Amino acid sequence: MVYIVPWDDFVERCVQLFRASPQNTRYVMKYRHSDGKLVLKVTDDKECLKFKTDQAQDAKKMEKLNNIFFTLMARGPETDITEVTGKEQTAQPAKRGRGRKQ
Amino acid sequence: MVRLQLDPFLNELTSMFEHTTEKGSVWVTLKHSSDKSKVQRNKITTAGKELEYKCLVRATDGKKNISTLVGTKDHQRFQASYATILKARMTSLKKREKKDKRKAADVVVDKKLPKTTKAMDVDKKQQVPVKRSSTANP
Repeated sequence: MVYIVPWDDFVERCVQLFRASPQNTRYVMKYRHSDGKLVLKVTDDKECLKFKTDQAQDAKKMEKLNNIFFTLMARGPETDITEVTGKEQTAQPAKRGRGRKQ
Repeated sequence: MVRLQLDPFLNELTSMFEHTTEKGSVWVTLKHSSDKSKVQRNKITTAGKELEYKCLVRATDGKKNISTLVGTKDHQRFQASYATILKARMTSLKKREKKDKRKAADVVVDKKLPKTTKAMDVDKKQQVPVKRSSTANP
């Protein structure tokens, strides 16, 4: 199993993997409260990237990665993700107004 | 595999985290999916229509399996709720210990001194009395 240590490398490679094969790539998260461990895995069943941690700060980073993946998966792999804020720049069709900030 | 709506899914996920506090794990899987079989997908693409993709979210505690589909319109809301659940539940991860110790040392040493790099702190501890006396006597 390929454990990647630098967080930014992990994120970059995960996004690349997803963009290369959006149909087959999945993002798995495993959390064990009893051990205080978090493991992330992104795989397309050919290549596997993993990241493990026991640090609270990494949970915050993981949230950003979650946002990236939700955006990519719900909208499409071609969506432009602006560096982790999860806000895309691609023109989206007008959504029903929910009183969102502009 | 139980397919739920968004909010029931989030509720079930929360209860999974509650049950696995002492032992056990929670797995959450995200996948880009159109929720249609290959045959259906081919039919749709050959008809020239665009396939609608969603995000399939699955969760399990080793015994129970639940899943839900998050569409384009719902993903922001789901993402926010999901983040809240994780933040509230992932409490057993360690905080940064080394940085806290260093911060405590810095606070003790340089209250009056201007900002310095951490490498200089060791020297500062020795120089502090010397510097104070020089500033006290103009």
